[in-house]
Amino acid sequence: MIKVGKPDVSPDKPSHTRGVKEGNSTGNYDRQPGHLPDGTSTAARSTGINPAQHGPILDSMPNLSPA
Amino acid sequence: MKQGTEARSGRAATQGGLVEVAFDPITRIVGNLGIYTKIDFANRQVAECRSTSSIFRGYSVFMKGKDPRDAHFITSRICGICGDNHATCSIYAQNMAYGIKPPPLAEWIINLGEAAEYMFDHTLFQDNLVFVDFCERMVAETNPGLLATAKNTEAPRGSVHGFRTIADIMTAFNPFEGSVYKEALQLSRITREMICLMEGRHVHPSTLYPGGVGTVATPQVFTDYLVRLTRCLDFVKRSVAMNDDIFDFFLEALPGYDQVGRRRTLLGCWGAFQNPAVCDYDYRHMSEWGRAAYVTPGIVVDGQLLTTDLVDINLGMRILLGSSYYDDWVNEETFVKQDPLGNPIDQRHPWNQTTLPNPQKRDLDGGKYSWVMSPRWKHPETGDHLALDTGGGPLARLWATALAGEVDTPYVRSTGHSVQIDLPKTPGMPEVNLEWTPPQYANTIERDRARAYFIAYAAGMALYFAEKALDEVRAGRTKVFTDFDVPDEAIGCGFHEAVRGVLSHHLVIRDGKIANYHPYPPTPWNASPRDSYGTPGPYEDAVQDQPIFEENGPDEFKGIDIMRTVRSFDPCLPCGVHMYVGGGRTIEKQHSPMFGAQ
Repeated sequence: MIKVGKPDVSPDKPSHTRGVKEGNSTGNYDRQPGHLPDGTSTAARSTGINPAQHGPILDSMPNLSPA
Repeated sequence: MKQGTEARSGRAATQGGLVEVAFDPITRIVGNLGIYTKIDFANRQVAECRSTSSIFRGYSVFMKGKDPRDAHFITSRICGICGDNHATCSIYAQNMAYGIKPPPLAEWIINLGEAAEYMFDHTLFQDNLVFVDFCERMVAETNPGLLATAKNTEAPRGSVHGFRTIADIMTAFNPFEGSVYKEALQLSRITREMICLMEGRHVHPSTLYPGGVGTVATPQVFTDYLVRLTRCLDFVKRSVAMNDDIFDFFLEALPGYDQVGRRRTLLGCWGAFQNPAVCDYDYRHMSEWGRAAYVTPGIVVDGQLLTTDLVDINLGMRILLGSSYYDDWVNEETFVKQDPLGNPIDQRHPWNQTTLPNPQKRDLDGGKYSWVMSPRWKHPETGDHLALDTGGGPLARLWATALAGEVDTPYVRSTGHSVQIDLPKTPGMPEVNLEWTPPQYANTIERDRARAYFIAYAAGMALYFAEKALDEVRAGRTKVFTDFDVPDEAIGCGFHEAVRGVLSHHLVIRDGKIANYHPYPPTPWNASPRDSYGTPGPYEDAVQDQPIFEENGPDEFKGIDIMRTVRSFDPCLPCGVHMYVGGGRTIEKQHSPMFGAQ
């Protein structure tokens, strides 16, 4: 028999709490750095350190920041 | 054997020369499926068949009251092999309920993941599980005469797949040692990697959400996918030729084998691969965006395409009881009286279903004998409750898509009477042009053959999806998710194709929580028992009256023809029943508490 500790909470507790904003909540996209309203993105989505210097070298290139 | 608890098979003589043969559980499938037959050995025919399942799971029971945003994570656990299909379908239903449309790139990423899943799962099932029934060792035990013929029969497409005789192909199918068996295992690894690139994990995706995906769309992720896809294509091209050779051989060497597993053509396909240019997840436009999908939804009756309209398909769904261990819900709550178009919704529709389990003793003689319910589709004109099957998935998908004439991409096209698949040149193989045309009968061999063609179909579509996704990325459109809030009241439905056939999720949200949730995967359709009208389910129907070609008599009978028929449907019982641990105790404990929760 494996000994296990007493659970801290009841197992039927919901995994989301009403009133607590989550990542999908409306308006969150606009607040994400580097995600532009037209669906494109900049290096700011990947780094906060000098993101402007990590853009593409030509204007005709898409801005594809690393993950 | 009436209460068949013995593993594999049991047999007992009955009156009238019939021998009862029970296969319970059936191996090489997931879950607990029992097939109880009466065999007429004098006429070499199956006289009667009952399909039973002894597991109950209760997703529709315990989903109630949960946050709808968790639905795809929970329902993904319905299956250990096609969980991502459930996650995807649940996301489709949630998108409809939340009134959101994911960005195009997110749809291409989901389509890429699902295409890889079809390639993975069909290959694994076909080459590692189905082909055991067609391998040299099995055929030597059941039909030694046939094996002797196979040794002297040249494989017509040998120049493509590299095997000289049909017996060589059969030897390559031998489990654990045959070359095809081993190569298929390697392929299942590569295809799983493809899924993980797009969906984060296999089989329970971690980056799929309502409103989009969490996959970071870089050029690298798509090229990593394409490299793997190209490696798979070599195998896929050889595999189709090999499948055609082995199945053609069976039909030629055993005249009448086309009657094995034959049933009336009653096929359902709910469509797959959304087209982001058309699909907005609004129920009111569901007919249009359903038809725009890259696998066309449709119902095929007697070889004719009855409808391609998802609204018609949705409205016709009826969940019947009759031989299932449940109480009726006619007097329970009606959650949805009308759909968003104003059409009335029946009490027997999944939106209005209340699951009332009633465990009892199995009674195969006119009583209740299965945990699987009996989903049927009500024909709008005749009023008949049709026992649709999925043909294991690919047969219905190819058939509906072929007749609908809607799909037109550079690699896969529907002609209105066939499906053409062009696979480009790959490192080990030249370009291959395939064409699948609807067969004369929906039978065991054609269900299995369609699977090989659908792997090619999915591979061709994956090439197209990767190109479309890269177009988005190259244009800098990297957005992959959309914001949403969970509404207090909403309904939604998702239609998708699980690997082995039709999949629907019906969702009702009240007070921001799930009030009702019913997943209807392929196996309830295929494995259903006799319904309240006495109509047998597709397994029962297909096995009943089928001829027996096995050379063994009653004493050594393995039932290989019956097993081939049942496995041709790609049975997967965990999704067939809605966790029961005996004694009436139902597991209710769930997980994941969060800070502040009451």
